[in-house]
Amino acid sequence: MASNPALFQSPTLTEALDLLAAIPGARPLSGGASLVAMMNAGLVEPAALVSLTRIPELRGIRVTADGGVIIGAATRHNEIAADPRLCGTAAVLPHAAAQIAGMAVRNMGTIGGAIAHADPGLDFPPALAAAGAVVELASAAARRRVPIREFFVDWYATVLTPGEIVIAVHLPKPKPGVGLYLKHARVSGDFAIVSVAVSLARDGEAHVAVGGCGPVPLASAEADGIVSSDLSASALAHAGDLLTALANPVDDVRATADYRRLLIPRMLARALNDCMAASRSVA
Amino acid sequence: MSEIAPIVLNVNGAARHTTALGGDTLLTVIRDQLLLTGAKRGCNQGVCGACTVLVDGRPVRACLSLAGDCQDRRIETIEGLGDRPVMRALQQAFVAAAAFQCGFCTPGMLVAAFALLADSRLPSEADVRRALSGNLCRCTGYKKIVEAVLRAAHALADEAVA
Amino acid sequence: MTQSVVGVVGLAAPQLEAAEKVDGSARFIADLNRPGMLYGAVLQSPHAHARILSYDVSRALAIAGVRAVVTGDDVQTNWRMGAFIKDEHALAKGKVRYVGEAVAAIAADSEAVAREAAAAINVVYEELPAALSPHAALKPDAAVIHEELANYIKVFDTGSAGNLCSRTSFREGDIEQGWRDSDLIFEAHYLTQAQAHVSLEPCGALAEIDANGRITLWSANQSVFRVQANVCESLGLPMSRLRCLTPRIGAGFGNKMEPHVQPLAVLLAMKARRPVKLVLSREQDFEMVRARHPFDIRVKTGVKRDGTLVAREVEVLLDGGAFADDSPGVLGYALLMSCGPYRIPHAHCHGRLAYTNKMRFGAFRGFGVPQITFATETQLDEIADALAIDPIELRLKNLKRQGDRWLGGQPIASCGLNECIERVRTASGWNGGRHRAGSAGSRRALGMACSAHISGLLSTGAIIRLLEDGSVLLNTGAVDIGQGSNTVLSQLCAEALRVPLDRVSIASPDTDGSPYNWGTTASRVTYMTGISVLGAAAEVERKIKEHAAEILECSAQDLELVPGGFVAVKGIPHRRVGFAAVSGRAHWAAGGPIIGSHSWVFDQKTVDPKRASVVGLPFPQIGAFVFNAIVVDVEIDETTGKSRVERAWSACDVGRAINPQMVEGQIEGAFVQGLGFALFEEMVWNGPQIANPTLMDYKIPTFIEAPSELYAIIVESNDPGGPFGAKSVGEIGINGVAAAIANAVNAAVGVRLRRLPLTSERVLEAMLASEQK
Repeated sequence: MASNPALFQSPTLTEALDLLAAIPGARPLSGGASLVAMMNAGLVEPAALVSLTRIPELRGIRVTADGGVIIGAATRHNEIAADPRLCGTAAVLPHAAAQIAGMAVRNMGTIGGAIAHADPGLDFPPALAAAGAVVELASAAARRRVPIREFFVDWYATVLTPGEIVIAVHLPKPKPGVGLYLKHARVSGDFAIVSVAVSLARDGEAHVAVGGCGPVPLASAEADGIVSSDLSASALAHAGDLLTALANPVDDVRATADYRRLLIPRMLARALNDCMAASRSVA
Repeated sequence: MSEIAPIVLNVNGAARHTTALGGDTLLTVIRDQLLLTGAKRGCNQGVCGACTVLVDGRPVRACLSLAGDCQDRRIETIEGLGDRPVMRALQQAFVAAAAFQCGFCTPGMLVAAFALLADSRLPSEADVRRALSGNLCRCTGYKKIVEAVLRAAHALADEAVA
Repeated sequence: MTQSVVGVVGLAAPQLEAAEKVDGSARFIADLNRPGMLYGAVLQSPHAHARILSYDVSRALAIAGVRAVVTGDDVQTNWRMGAFIKDEHALAKGKVRYVGEAVAAIAADSEAVAREAAAAINVVYEELPAALSPHAALKPDAAVIHEELANYIKVFDTGSAGNLCSRTSFREGDIEQGWRDSDLIFEAHYLTQAQAHVSLEPCGALAEIDANGRITLWSANQSVFRVQANVCESLGLPMSRLRCLTPRIGAGFGNKMEPHVQPLAVLLAMKARRPVKLVLSREQDFEMVRARHPFDIRVKTGVKRDGTLVAREVEVLLDGGAFADDSPGVLGYALLMSCGPYRIPHAHCHGRLAYTNKMRFGAFRGFGVPQITFATETQLDEIADALAIDPIELRLKNLKRQGDRWLGGQPIASCGLNECIERVRTASGWNGGRHRAGSAGSRRALGMACSAHISGLLSTGAIIRLLEDGSVLLNTGAVDIGQGSNTVLSQLCAEALRVPLDRVSIASPDTDGSPYNWGTTASRVTYMTGISVLGAAAEVERKIKEHAAEILECSAQDLELVPGGFVAVKGIPHRRVGFAAVSGRAHWAAGGPIIGSHSWVFDQKTVDPKRASVVGLPFPQIGAFVFNAIVVDVEIDETTGKSRVERAWSACDVGRAINPQMVEGQIEGAFVQGLGFALFEEMVWNGPQIANPTLMDYKIPTFIEAPSELYAIIVESNDPGGPFGAKSVGEIGINGVAAAIANAVNAAVGVRLRRLPLTSERVLEAMLASEQK
């Protein structure tokens, strides 16, 4: 059945947050790429929608005085894919953004909407986990920041509380190096069967995360520690095993859980080898 | 629940007075009320691309856009783009290259290709395939569509030089 | 008739509908509206198999804007439709037989209200045990899906019993002798999956009833005549009361050949006495229409050491779903093609079709041959490997040639397969070695396959009218589903009458005014309808000459048509008269308006009883063979097992390319649809429920998966019976794709997969398993 929510346009963040606090069951609407598709399919029936698309402070990418990057929650995937400031180790993010769905959806979808939706097949969660992102949240009552690796809690679930929205994603200052997002899907634009996100700094610091293998992106300080100090085949295999142990994949129409587990170390090694090759060609 | 509300949409250069419920998509409103049926409902989930229209010059999915959220935006559909040289070149090339069979995906395909050629005058074959990869066609195998877009790009470049 | 005189045959003319297809004005079923029109919605069954105990529609009727509700109570028990077995009601009556089946339908003022009302209908069911696979359905204790099966009308000897819908067997030669004569015998088991058509346009219908009770029906269809027959059979209407028309069709591939929601739209319109439009959502289109049959195939082939094929046994088991639809035809046709285009003296090809509690399976481009070919053509590669013979040489050694007889005994009038093979062999550089250098971390090789198809089946007609001004109106009743048949048939007509293409217009199919055409299916329109177009044109030509003989005062035998719409005395071109003058005379002075007509039925026997014995033959007259050879260049990623077709060459013997650009389009489109079938397309059932009835979850190839190096190669064998030598091209290009890709995968990574699709998961698992050996 078609859902029929009231639609509110909010010119300011304060007003949007007040509306979300005031209306039980109201949901923020950003690009619509996920939420409207689910409404069309009758999977969700929000009581009201609060559109965030006209709030200037949620749009765009800024670089802070210390070199960090702030991406407004309503920034579109294509803007992220094309932004030259997301370079070096932060390049994992545009690389992932460019592989989401197709051009028209990337013109609509926003990074805030994507991570708030928390579909485990989405490309941003592992990319942000590898990029060391911190998510900034706001509600009518408060603002807070949550590291991306703590943001996702379960299938389609995050730390967001009712009335709270994502307003920005903060990245540390990109280091010289490479970022890469290796995605394995049935066809272009599909959700990943497995994806691996890597940020590899020239100084050796490396962060890795895996998508498609459970409710949350797979990442661990221990795995990062291994790949930061040793990129030998045996070290990569060890890191792959650590991440595989964290995996909680399911069987679905894309692939079985066993195949996903099998791919984690294989794709991790492939991604890091591709990164090293890219580093060499840059150097 | 929302009430039916009047909304004004700027479609193909004209202000159009329509009505919509909060959950009504742009696709529903332009097809059912404005009778602009060039944009098609192929999946209603944003996957097939048959509903592609331009909003503020960029290709988007009309089926994933809420009509009420598109007020003050510049909406362009296949019906409104026919006078533009880029679209004319694309249409001619699609006909010459037989870049369609059933034609159901064609309006969305043309709108997506229009946006590509508006941005990048001489795309490579890979650029064309990437830019259109969100538009599905089940008839052609895509080869003749790529040929048509490249042919249009070259025709436009030749015109610009001449 | 083989020479093109005016150059219209062989011309890459654009589609006649090109202008409306590029400016957005082409009207498909969802784009049509009628004054006072209501919107339909369907309530679907939540159960795979259940008795319907009662309906309560009171809550639905109480919703403002609801105009009509229909249920199984609105149709009579004996109102059943079906192409081969009349086993299907307009909507579920008495019981439901699959999840998603139409149980009730609503007509209301808006789509939203109709959907809300459909959900408000309360149906009480008594659940029954379900049979979800053909193996389960054919067990003796399985729940019976059609209790009345014995009493259903059947159009051939189906052998139906229990949940066995039909069975077919071909025998030629002496199979036991064949095994004795063989040096080596190969036997293996193959599985293919359900593939969804995914025409970009979902199915829909718009029905309108006038005050006299006559009904007009527009729908997404491949045959207005099959729509008329199905609706009238399922609603107990005389066929003369229903007029079927067609808007533009957003592709078919078999999906729109037999009924979908047309009977429901008519039933709602009759009850509401208002026009009703009912268009399925994409999900409903996946769940309610039809799909390609999953095949369970056993192939056994006996061969001499030198590679000579001696004997072939094929046994298949098909999942037919809840209704027979075209399934008996698919079974019979797949078996007819199961020896492929090869000389195999001893054959036994047999199979069964089971009813199950799933959506019906039916016609889909290839009609069972892509499934069979996957099995038989990959087994041929295994034989070639075992005998250390090049796969192409093995095929060439055993190829059928022009004049040979097909399985069953029908002669092959034209065969360009040898040339198809040589063309793809040369173009692909096959003789330089099958293994190619892949990119880092991948392996790459060539694979090939051959296949055949038919062009002639059932009946068709054409009417050509010479209008007062000498221009030409062609009316065939053949629905152009996007492939361009309007253009091709007009080209044939223009060539035959030697007029420019723009002097010919083609009427939109209309059961009131068009000659019968069984349908745009079975690759039959160019060949079958083309022959009727030429027959009708010949009658027009004869009448034109009779008039011209009077005007020019000569004998009709001394006249000839000359290009541009004139008839002239042979050898004296200035003694001529134009079609306008001829038609004016006919309209106003003598003889009456010039109308040419032709109709025929394909009457070449499938089986020569002296050569073959056949049980359960659904198509007793089918033929006019076309051929295809494919080479693909496939790269497999060693990390994930994912296959990518880098290059492909597909050569089709189409007899004659009336419009070469459209022929290429068919070959290219069929290839990419076959690529999806080979590599990743699969409808998955979770118990009785389709798990992926959306384009989010069911994926078809995009611009990225389709190879940019895709070469369509046209081979012209000029069939002596075809119109200007033409045969067909609609399906042939899909048949061998999966086999060729599987053969390339085997050549590249050394694993032989006998189950489709060749997902990255299955390929990687097999690669790892073979490494451990």
